[in-house]
Amino acid sequence: MKRSQFLAAAGAAAVAVALAGCTGGAPTASSASGDGKSVSYLIGQPDTPEQLAGIKANMKTFERESGITVDLQVVPNSSARTLVQTRLRSGKGPDVFGYDTGPGFAGVLAKAGLLYDLTDHVKTADWGIYDWAKPAVTFDGKFYGIPDQIEQVGLYYNKDLFEQYGLEAPTTMAALETAAKKIEAEGKIPFAAGNKEGWEGGHMLSMALASQVGASAMGELIAGDSSWDSDGVKSALSTWAGFQKAGWLPPSPNGITYDNSNALFYSGRAAMNPTGTWLIQTLKDAVKFDVGFVNFPAPSGDAVATTGLGAGTFMSSSSKNTAAALKLMDYLAGDSHGEWELQRYLIPAHPVEGGTSDDPLFQQVVEDTASYAETGAGTGANIDVSATDVFNKAMWDGMQGIVGGTKTPDQVAASLQAAAEKSK
Amino acid sequence: MVLTVVFFVVPLLSSVYYSLIDYDGISATPAFVGLGNFVELFSDPEVWHALGNNLIWIVLGTAAPLILGLAFALLLWTARRGSRFYRLALFFPYVMPGVAIGITWGWIYDPIDGWLNVGLRAIGLGGLATGWLGQPDTALIAVLVTAIWGACGFVMVIFLSALQNVDQELIDAARLDRANALQRVQHVVVPQIMPVFIMVTTVTLVGGFSVFDIIFIMTQAGPANASNVLGTYAFTNAFQLNRISYGTAIALLITALSIPCAVLLNRLQRRLSIEGMGS
Repeated sequence: MKRSQFLAAAGAAAVAVALAGCTGGAPTASSASGDGKSVSYLIGQPDTPEQLAGIKANMKTFERESGITVDLQVVPNSSARTLVQTRLRSGKGPDVFGYDTGPGFAGVLAKAGLLYDLTDHVKTADWGIYDWAKPAVTFDGKFYGIPDQIEQVGLYYNKDLFEQYGLEAPTTMAALETAAKKIEAEGKIPFAAGNKEGWEGGHMLSMALASQVGASAMGELIAGDSSWDSDGVKSALSTWAGFQKAGWLPPSPNGITYDNSNALFYSGRAAMNPTGTWLIQTLKDAVKFDVGFVNFPAPSGDAVATTGLGAGTFMSSSSKNTAAALKLMDYLAGDSHGEWELQRYLIPAHPVEGGTSDDPLFQQVVEDTASYAETGAGTGANIDVSATDVFNKAMWDGMQGIVGGTKTPDQVAASLQAAAEKSK
Repeated sequence: MVLTVVFFVVPLLSSVYYSLIDYDGISATPAFVGLGNFVELFSDPEVWHALGNNLIWIVLGTAAPLILGLAFALLLWTARRGSRFYRLALFFPYVMPGVAIGITWGWIYDPIDGWLNVGLRAIGLGGLATGWLGQPDTALIAVLVTAIWGACGFVMVIFLSALQNVDQELIDAARLDRANALQRVQHVVVPQIMPVFIMVTTVTLVGGFSVFDIIFIMTQAGPANASNVLGTYAFTNAFQLNRISYGTAIALLITALSIPCAVLLNRLQRRLSIEGMGS
């Protein structure tokens, strides 16, 4: 290419870029101009084909009941967030879509004017959402979505192994430490704590922190009302640092994937597994021993449950099928869908009339989560679904340092506080 | 001309534009920050850490495939039997998808059941067993070894084809002059394939600046950023922390660093060709 040609091309390109404005503008909220008979619904790719088939069947049920056709759009989880953002920005987003809850995720979309305000609708729809779950979808006082899939993180333990070694359930810190020592002495791994992906460490910190500082103080931390560079946070970090030093974690946890750490537990090589209730369904088929689930014990007093929301469902502010989309939202927040979720080991964030599960472990968790709402007992939060990406990255890096033995609790607490300030 | 504009000039200018604003991927009116992203970039310690890892990758990730690839090519060039099998076996890793390589080597490096640690324990070297991808001091090198394994076959095939044009009479003459094998390679063979050598060096070296996939698959740049390079840091900022503009600025830094190297090596290759070294 000659120099003059290149300059001409560059000039033309510069004009094109300038004209394009590159970032576009936020789509304007539209009036409901659709036919009221169809709605698009975007979800992340489920883990298994069976799960996807179940969702499709569930949508068929809605179609039969409502006469509305659902255009189910399934996208890879890894790119779902970026894809939703781009499509919403272009004004061609799905009418209804699954998205992470909390100020760092759906809150950002709400702030950009991309979410449909459901405040007036829920006043009449009476979805019965648990009060503690509402803040995850409420931004600037407006209600934007259905909080869904309650998850609890805590400790699974191999009941058979504990019985064989004459150990008590690890409901207190003393019992936990006694168990870990005995299990290690027997040549097994006390905690199946793989942390290669990094997010596992966030769950480990969440469960330890909830019982360390209590639900209320944890809420203040996440809301940015108190400092992460504090004694309570350092103590929670020290708990895992102590486990690492004692040799109670697998060798090099940061080199072990989540799946492989679960495999250590399934195979009986590790006795306890610090993870979430989403594993219950898999455990049913994967293990041949009795499994118990307890909240991570507190240094003294009662353990505090650590809960979070695995998903949320939202509507696009530029939806042209508002009426149909609202009907789908009503369905997704209703008892019929709630029962369907319970059968699939998912816990809706609202009470389900007559909803029970045949699996005793899952039923225990369902009843526990319902009781937290009924009694008003606070729960700690699973941090990563409540915090921003910036904070999560600092937390995941920090916990990799803790379980890898390369960072001190003081260093990690300071980096968490720095990330919290950056997130404001 | 049109293709150049569409596929090179427009994306480049677009990147420059994004690097001058503060875009989070959502905001409709991102603020213009001028050179703010570049100022932050040069004062960001993680950028320097990632660049350091890039330099390690460039030096080892360029030198090792060149040396091993040349060695394999010379062995196969002189081999009388089994050449086709070894050529296929050594080239096979290059055609494997990066994801498959990453996952397979992830199993090999597993701290508990990985073949590497199991093998070390079996031969009495259990003290060397470690969590290769989970330790900050071994993670980058472990991924680099995987990348070298994957690249050697490609380098070997290129060298092997270049060796077909080496003048056999010159080698015979060197042999008559009592030059040993190493001297024949150094003074007769390598000078004749030098333009190809430079071309392969350019490709692997520039690849060292932009390396991303194999690291992201195997360690996600961890543990705690230990194996972070500029490519993974740009991705993390742009797509995980919603800092599209800062990520773009880092990507432009990668471009700015790699283009001069590519141009210099390209000129060197041309000069050598004109001077008559090689084919």
